[in-house]
Amino acid sequence: MENTESTGVVASGEYLTFTLGAEEYGMDILKVQEIRGYDAVTKIANAPAFIKGVINLRGVIVPIVDLRIKFKLGDPTYDQFTVVIILNIGKRVMGIVVDGVSDVIELNSDSLRPAPEFGSILDTRYIMGLGTVEERMIIIVDIEKLMTSQEMALIEETAE
Amino acid sequence: MSIDMSQFYQVFFEEASEHLANMESLLLELDIENPSLEDLNAIFRAAHSVKGGSGTFGFTDMTEVTHVLETLLDRLRKEELQLRPEMVDAFLAAGDVLRAQLEHHQGGPDADADQIRSVCDELNRLASGESGGHDAAHASSPATAPEARTVALACALPADIAGDHAAIENLLAGLAEIAAVDLKHRPAASAPRLSATLTTLKSDGEIRDTLAFYVSTDAVSLTPGAAPDEAPAAQDDSFGFFDGAPGAAAPAADPGFGFFDDAPAAPAAKQAEDPGFGFFDDAPAAPASPVQSDPGFGFFDDVPAPAAADSASADGIREEKDKDGAYGFFEDAAGKPEHLPNRDVSAADAPAAIEGQGYGIYVNAPGGTGFFDNAPGAPKMAPATTTSAPPPGGQSPGRRVTDAPGVETAKSGRRDADKTVTAANTDTSIRVSVEKVDQLINLVGELVITQAMLAEAAGAFDPVQAEKLLAGIDLLSRNTRDLQESVMSIRMLPMSMVFSRFPRVVRDLAGKLGKQIEMKTIGENTELDKGLIEKIADPMNHLVRNSLDHGIETPEKRVAAGKSPKGTLTLKASHQGGNVVIEVIDDGGGLNRDRILSKAKEKGLPGVHDGMPDSEVWQLIFAPGFSTAEKVTDVSGRGVGMDVVKRNIESLGGKVELECSPGYGTRTIIRLPLTLAILDGMSVGVGGQTYIVPLTAIVESMQPTADDIRTMARDSRMVHIRGEYLPFISLAQVFGLPDAADVTQGIVMVIESEEGKAALFVDELLGQHQVVIKSLEHNYRKVPGISGATIMGDGSVAMILDLASVTRMGLANAQRRKAA
Repeated sequence: MENTESTGVVASGEYLTFTLGAEEYGMDILKVQEIRGYDAVTKIANAPAFIKGVINLRGVIVPIVDLRIKFKLGDPTYDQFTVVIILNIGKRVMGIVVDGVSDVIELNSDSLRPAPEFGSILDTRYIMGLGTVEERMIIIVDIEKLMTSQEMALIEETAE
Repeated sequence: MSIDMSQFYQVFFEEASEHLANMESLLLELDIENPSLEDLNAIFRAAHSVKGGSGTFGFTDMTEVTHVLETLLDRLRKEELQLRPEMVDAFLAAGDVLRAQLEHHQGGPDADADQIRSVCDELNRLASGESGGHDAAHASSPATAPEARTVALACALPADIAGDHAAIENLLAGLAEIAAVDLKHRPAASAPRLSATLTTLKSDGEIRDTLAFYVSTDAVSLTPGAAPDEAPAAQDDSFGFFDGAPGAAAPAADPGFGFFDDAPAAPAAKQAEDPGFGFFDDAPAAPASPVQSDPGFGFFDDVPAPAAADSASADGIREEKDKDGAYGFFEDAAGKPEHLPNRDVSAADAPAAIEGQGYGIYVNAPGGTGFFDNAPGAPKMAPATTTSAPPPGGQSPGRRVTDAPGVETAKSGRRDADKTVTAANTDTSIRVSVEKVDQLINLVGELVITQAMLAEAAGAFDPVQAEKLLAGIDLLSRNTRDLQESVMSIRMLPMSMVFSRFPRVVRDLAGKLGKQIEMKTIGENTELDKGLIEKIADPMNHLVRNSLDHGIETPEKRVAAGKSPKGTLTLKASHQGGNVVIEVIDDGGGLNRDRILSKAKEKGLPGVHDGMPDSEVWQLIFAPGFSTAEKVTDVSGRGVGMDVVKRNIESLGGKVELECSPGYGTRTIIRLPLTLAILDGMSVGVGGQTYIVPLTAIVESMQPTADDIRTMARDSRMVHIRGEYLPFISLAQVFGLPDAADVTQGIVMVIESEEGKAALFVDELLGQHQVVIKSLEHNYRKVPGISGATIMGDGSVAMILDLASVTRMGLANAQRRKAA
């Protein structure tokens, strides 16, 4: 799948919103390959707790990250309602576990407000802005920057 | 040109590289004392094929080099010169130059012009050798006189050029620059043939070169004497390349094949009635006639006759040959005068070659005319014509024959023969891009997984009720396995692909280093994955160079040490278990333990002490920047190399070891997996997870008793197996999984890795599988202790252990515990 260049500048576009705990997040829908249920994963030895392991996605080994554990949001339980969003970032395929996927919304840059700087777990570097839809606040994440960041430990430090 | 030749370039490049490689290997095998004519001919053919191809495609620089190469080869072939070692050197150098030129045409860097010049000069010098003078190759030809001479030029042009007025003008203008041209027959689309009398100072070769752009030099025939005036009967367009002379046969009272327009000249020639025609120096009066017939004459070393009658006779012979199914190896043509036809006009010989390739239309035309349907379309086979049954033996006019055209024509015929061989090869092999093969392998890998999944699911069925299903699945699994094996074998190549490059390296280096070295190869048919073959070549090159430079001593030293002055380098490949073992063995002085140790201390390598076992000392030379060479040569000694060798081999999943007995030699052993894509593994369960242990690393597995486990220094556990104490490594601990409470309930696997032997403790053994290796790094990152992942029959992912790393981690864990 083609990767659309992350611009860093907020442009209008479609965003997939998902929930982590009580918070609602959004990400560029073009980075999403598919949404699937949570399957048994194969653990990776000595990996951080939020890296659940790898799954076999039609012959491709795909690592799964639980964002709920990473951001200490929500309850990391795994049942038939647990959702995995499979992302296509660069040439890599990876999955994230979220509490739920709610909507696809359209936002333009005007309705995005910059996030205030404060030391949250989710560094403001990875937040493209805050959007408002029907009085709900949606945190738009730069998912590519987040997933390829060193703190996610998903890719080799030397790489990129 | 109306045809876009560039579409064929790639074919030419590939063929030319093959010919060059072939030439090189033949040269290296050549017995200098007593070269076999067959080998020389084979080398000549290879060079000639390159020349022909490069001429056709307009790579004139290559044509020039091959031309001088051929000149020398030809003299050797005819035993006019004695083969000398420096000639082989010159040939090899010429091969290098050609390769560089070939690369240049493929978009590589420019070939070194100075080098080309010096190689050509050297070849010319050698060729002129005993007879002295550039034209030595044409010594027997009366045309070599330095003063202006008269030659009859005849050549068949590709139809598209012949029809191109501008091209003809250019061609003639080019000729006019080097010679006074008396044009006898101007090429036209209907009669694409050029016939002219040239008065020139230039050699035949230069004339050919002038024409090389338009027509393959082989199709050009040059004969001393004037070209005949065109015969009126010659204008028959139906003869493709040559104007036929349908009526020509009549005077000869023979089924004639209107091939040459020189018919009228023939009767005159006939009068000579000389049955021998090889070197007819005695009939100087014979009119030169269009000799384009000759190109077909293939292998007449002694050559085509300038006169029509000659071609007729040659033709007859060739027809005899044709019957034998031989295409053009008529070295003995001269010796078969009894076949001489008494026809005047000949059909060209090319038909033989052409027919051999299945292109030709072989038409009997006893009544008179032959025709050449295929000729215009096949410029390389210009002389293509049809022939009829062999004519009755009879008179053959004598005439003067020059060597030069003979050479040229012989080449032409050869090339046809070569083409036949190539054509045969294409029938049995195809070139496929590696990506396609890899894709196939991937797909088969998926199929294997799917099949395993099915088989597992089917296990749940009642074998009685689902009998048919189960039988089908059994069949499927067998077929899948066969398919997988066949597909994997596509990528397998013999080790000779790597070994074959070394005779040259050894020869060059031995010369440069003043050593006498004999190279042996053993097991070059051992097959290895293509990916590995490509990657192993460089490390091997390093090892061979090292052996030659540092290993094998100079002849004086060897004699002083009581050894034969000639050193031996052996390259050996074999299968051992699931590995391919490649060995580079020399019988040189071996490694110097003391020097390595002192150098290692000097460089401050960790853990170096005098009491180190030999095997560890040898491993020191794999350290980066390590070299004990006293002087740096351009061969080796810079200390980059062995570490790269080791790294390269390890990146292929292999190991490199050194064995050495000082004074007797060194053996470098490279162990490689058979393939990079599939692994035989044992699946083991640890803490609820499944891991794959490479089967090749497992020495044995056993259930330990409490007595087998000993501790040392409080915490470090050891396993006592058959008198050996091995470090006990719990996989669960290494990977931070829940450890089994009772050691005696688990399994201890004795594994061997580059870190040595160790006892790996796992909860259970699950089974043995062939697994398709999937990269973990592709979407994730490298994980310590894990070399990759695979997909199991149930669709789950299992990690493949990297045992060396697991052993290191296990030992480090123990040390940490000790420290704590």
